[in-house]
Amino acid sequence: MAGVTDAQPVDGKIVVDGVGKRFQSGSGTVEALRGVNFSVQEGEFVCIIGSSGAGKTTLFRIIAGLEEATDGTVWLDGEPIEGPGTDRGMVFQEYGLFPWRTVLGNVAFGLEQREMSKPARRERAERMIDLVGLGEFVDSYPKELSGGMKQRVGIARALAVNPEILLMDEPFGSVDAQTKQRLHAELLDIWRETGKTVMFVTHDVDEAVTLADRVVVLTGSPGSVHEVVDVDLDRPRARTDEAFAEYEERLRDAIG
Amino acid sequence: MSVDTSTDSETGLVADTLLDDDRAARRWLRGAVGTAAFLVIWQVAAMPVPTFLLPTPIEVARAFVVELTAPATFEVPLTGAEIPLTRLLVNLIDSLYHYIPGLVVGGTAGIAVGIAMGWSDLLNEAVTPVQRVLRPIPPLAWIAFAIVWLGVNHSGAAFIVGIGAFWVNFYNAYAGVEGVTQSSKEVAASLGVDDDLTMIRKVVIPSATPEIMTGIRTSIGQGWMIVVAAELFGAPGIGFQIINAAQNLSLDVSVAYMFVISLVFLVSDGVFRRVERRVLVWRE
Repeated sequence: MAGVTDAQPVDGKIVVDGVGKRFQSGSGTVEALRGVNFSVQEGEFVCIIGSSGAGKTTLFRIIAGLEEATDGTVWLDGEPIEGPGTDRGMVFQEYGLFPWRTVLGNVAFGLEQREMSKPARRERAERMIDLVGLGEFVDSYPKELSGGMKQRVGIARALAVNPEILLMDEPFGSVDAQTKQRLHAELLDIWRETGKTVMFVTHDVDEAVTLADRVVVLTGSPGSVHEVVDVDLDRPRARTDEAFAEYEERLRDAIG
Repeated sequence: MSVDTSTDSETGLVADTLLDDDRAARRWLRGAVGTAAFLVIWQVAAMPVPTFLLPTPIEVARAFVVELTAPATFEVPLTGAEIPLTRLLVNLIDSLYHYIPGLVVGGTAGIAVGIAMGWSDLLNEAVTPVQRVLRPIPPLAWIAFAIVWLGVNHSGAAFIVGIGAFWVNFYNAYAGVEGVTQSSKEVAASLGVDDDLTMIRKVVIPSATPEIMTGIRTSIGQGWMIVVAAELFGAPGIGFQIINAAQNLSLDVSVAYMFVISLVFLVSDGVFRRVERRVLVWRE
């Protein structure tokens, strides 16, 4: 490909470098992303925000390695991403839990793919389950859990394999507002405790201002980066804060 | 961290239970009345006609007891050892001697091929035309091969049962694998599953288990129909007794064996349902 460098152009844990994506469909070609550039530093909490159709989920799937970019490269620690890997833990909006496995079985799944003794696996999985506050539900099946609890399992499962990066695609899109607030606080606690790099896709401006160090705003169709906003607020952040409201308004304007 | 749980209100639960109990009692009573009426009508209708046209329920019950108690010896195939049993048990075991191997071999092959075709596009596309042509053929139509290759015996009958079990299990396993969600596979890949065998073992098969279980349960029932049909050609067993007794004008014995099939089916289906419930506790 002309114009594509074979080395990571700038510093960063993740560098999204001129990424474009076109899908072939029956009626022709649909362009979802064009010339997307931004980078994420180690330990940063970055939200990707944008109106629907701006290609947020497509970008998430490219970084996850579930889709291939048509143009450009996503770099992870200087290596181009070429598929899914345990260096990136994924959390999906619809949880993606294995319904045939208990909470423990779900969280231990990734650990089973490695050389690890059964007791060690169990211990690590239980620690992760405790971390998300589901200690009493180790032996429950997903059908017995509420949406918020399911997503906690999803997070514990992603964290169990100790990924460097947590990739989250609208993870709290299907839970009620109250649960969502609590999950935000829990996620920030986990982020602080584990020091992971987090990339969090959302369409919710409020959520982005609550969580992110920086917000990448995708707009247009095909989507590209409209601007990157540094959220310079101390945590925990209060919605009632004037500065909070200003950030919200600024992002809302940016999305258009 | 606190946890959001929700439970149904206690009172609502209690009221539902009471209603369920009432309903169960009513259903039981109505069922008993219906069954009694059926037996009475049958008895009245059968009394004026000779047994070889229509046996009464009492005659059938008597024939059943006779078959159940009349001594007979079971000759173990291959070894030739003789075990003293009763006529009904000997016939039942004869039937099981082709029913079980046919079901196990045909069913296992069906599940394996179903999973393989559901998983591999290459295999799916290559085999589908042949599969489409062969599947509508009723298992019994293969009797020609059974007779030529194996003879009218346990192996021949097992072959026919096996073909029936193959298709039912094939189709259900295939549908189960087709139904595995993309997201399950993506999650597994993101958690380090990077080879087909692990994906099939850890994601595809567990996810397809409900359909696979349905296939097994269907073939358990269908297997009995095929057993009887296969035995009409002469393989020993319950089906053979039905036709054999009828030819001797002992229709009471025929009907008794018809009920044996029904009974065996109900028991095996009931046992399997319990197994199924246990295996699928996780299901919504």
